[in-house]
Amino acid sequence: MNVPQMNERHSFCDRKETCSPSRKPKPPKPQNAITIAVSSRALFSMDQEQEIYEQQGMEDYLSYQIKHETQPFAPGPAFPFIKAVEVVNARLRELYPDSEELFDVVLMTSNHAHVGLRLINSINHHQLLIERFCMTGGNSPIGYLKAYHTNLYLSADSGKVREAIEEGIAAATVFSTGRVPEVPETQLRVAFDGDAVLFSDESERIYKAHGLDNFVPGGPLKCFLEALGKLQQKFYAKGQRLDCPIRTYLVTARSAASSGTRALKTLRSWGLETDEALFLAGAPKGPMLEKIRPHIFFDDQMFHVEGAAELGTVAAHVPYGIAQKIPAKTGKDTTKEMQAKQLE
Amino acid sequence: MSLDPVQVMKGQDPMPSTCPATSNGDIKASREDNKDTHENVGSTTKPKPPKPENAVTIAVSSRVLFRTEKEQKVFEQKGIEEYLRYQVEHENEPFAPGPAFPFVKALEAVNGRLRELYPESEELFDIVLVTYNHAHVGIRLINTINYHNLFIERFCMTGGTSPIGYLKAWHTNLYLSADAEKVQEALAEGIAAATMFMPEKQIKVSETQLRVAFDGDAVLFSDESERIFKAHGLDKFFEHERENENTLLDHGPLKGFLEVLGQLQKKFYAKGHRLDCPIRTYLVTARSAASSGIRALKTLRAWGLEMDEALFLAGAPKGPMLEKIRPHIYFDDQMFHVEGAVEMGAIAAHVPYGIAQKYPHKKSSNTDK
Repeated sequence: MNVPQMNERHSFCDRKETCSPSRKPKPPKPQNAITIAVSSRALFSMDQEQEIYEQQGMEDYLSYQIKHETQPFAPGPAFPFIKAVEVVNARLRELYPDSEELFDVVLMTSNHAHVGLRLINSINHHQLLIERFCMTGGNSPIGYLKAYHTNLYLSADSGKVREAIEEGIAAATVFSTGRVPEVPETQLRVAFDGDAVLFSDESERIYKAHGLDNFVPGGPLKCFLEALGKLQQKFYAKGQRLDCPIRTYLVTARSAASSGTRALKTLRSWGLETDEALFLAGAPKGPMLEKIRPHIFFDDQMFHVEGAAELGTVAAHVPYGIAQKIPAKTGKDTTKEMQAKQLE
Repeated sequence: MSLDPVQVMKGQDPMPSTCPATSNGDIKASREDNKDTHENVGSTTKPKPPKPENAVTIAVSSRVLFRTEKEQKVFEQKGIEEYLRYQVEHENEPFAPGPAFPFVKALEAVNGRLRELYPESEELFDIVLVTYNHAHVGIRLINTINYHNLFIERFCMTGGTSPIGYLKAWHTNLYLSADAEKVQEALAEGIAAATMFMPEKQIKVSETQLRVAFDGDAVLFSDESERIFKAHGLDKFFEHERENENTLLDHGPLKGFLEVLGQLQKKFYAKGHRLDCPIRTYLVTARSAASSGIRALKTLRAWGLEMDEALFLAGAPKGPMLEKIRPHIYFDDQMFHVEGAVEMGAIAAHVPYGIAQKYPHKKSSNTDK
């Protein structure tokens, strides 16, 4: 993690009574920040514990957790993403020390407070900066997501993700790849599918009926891309376009010539850009993503999510739109398999 | 000053054995009361109040149980004679519910469930109405209680003297009042107490599950950490918490109340009702999880207390969270947070304890974030 430069740190110290090397920056107000809520199973690998919970019940699960309290969890699928988010924050603080336009990471878990200690120990062990917790003891976190003005919710539980999307919160189910992803440490890379992720899945129908003159509604992740774009602008404003620590990618199955213009024009009409755009015209996404090495890739179709995960990319499923009702032919069975894999 | 609450009422109401069935204003004559008298009285469907030492006693003042602003104004502007006359005149008009009303209703719902599972047990909530009011107002209060279908059988009408002695006599576990001075007196005597405030708009709360939310420092825990934060700033506070990770925090004024809630919860768990337990507790703290959460969680665990939900806010406003939780009551030591909660429609109570009280409480001069 980047450490602020000495001269920047000085301005912090002036405003505090004491200044120690272990000083932690103050979390921003929720309404100013870009709030990312992450579940404990997305952030950490908790497969063993999950198995105990399912096979032996709550009491055994809790006593196991307490017994292993000082053993930090291993990183989970969303871990590299969160680490990269903190890198961006450090760069933002260097350039804009007084601004609250930062990422704010909240741990949103249905675990009980008993597990809290192990989670805190793990967070400190991995040197993450997560100060905000909601431990809901089994209840739904959706209310708290709204109270935190959550911009993105990542969970291993597709039920909760679906609930969040229905409430208008950008959300995705993350899956473990089974191996440590090789991702850059100094640049946050986020890749998006187009239809039913950035664009509403009605975009094709709307175009056919009315042409692009009509405003095309955005998909569930549009606002998150928007938030990333705003932060990117802050780097550009300080002359850091070339080494901007945020990079966004559109990875779509669309064909460039026949439907690419519409996608790009829509993005432009929204005032959004992605740094890179790959039109695959149906080619598999896995190999491309392997080259990009994003910290996270959002897609509405499990088929693509699985394809990406097979090649080591952290992919997240956005359960939105028409694709959920008619999954791709290999999708259905492997969906169950992947979910079962996640639960164990 | 008479310590026998019955003497005040004796002149007004007949003794329990000749009491008409409609009145439930039975006053317990003494603690060695004969159960038979109670059993002979009025309807047999009303459950018998438990002995104070067995029960979880909640003392509420009339001004937090009901809305009495109008009457309060009469008292302040026109004096006590006018006030008493006004009350007697409007005797048959029930008061509207006050801020503690949903809390008391929820307590009764829990009692209902406890009686189903443990018909012989006296480990129940017991609600006592403690009021400065004179006995003249008693009838209106009784009428109101009956109108709203509440089970409040115990009254202390102190006619102007301090209720603190009675609170102790009743083994009071929690005292709720609109009067900050009385609350402070109670806290000084070691009784958990808080001042309640009426929200302008009230969010709807559950009728089947009692939800109680607590702040951490200076409510469940002592204010020692709060002192360090106020004197030396956030960094020193984090440092201190880290160094003392394994030293338990001292207890605060509401720790005992959380403890009794936990005991009642265990009774439900023992009968397999963990998932639909009618009591749910929440910790809503401004602490930061990674930097200062460990000490708080370890202390709770060492005390054998569990909270159902724990929110570490790291300074984020509590109002929106409380709006989602919808507690029947939320205890905090800082007026800033209490006001924030009330603004969002949550029922909040101020615990005037610890270092935070040295700062002004006016809405306009919030020095804390």
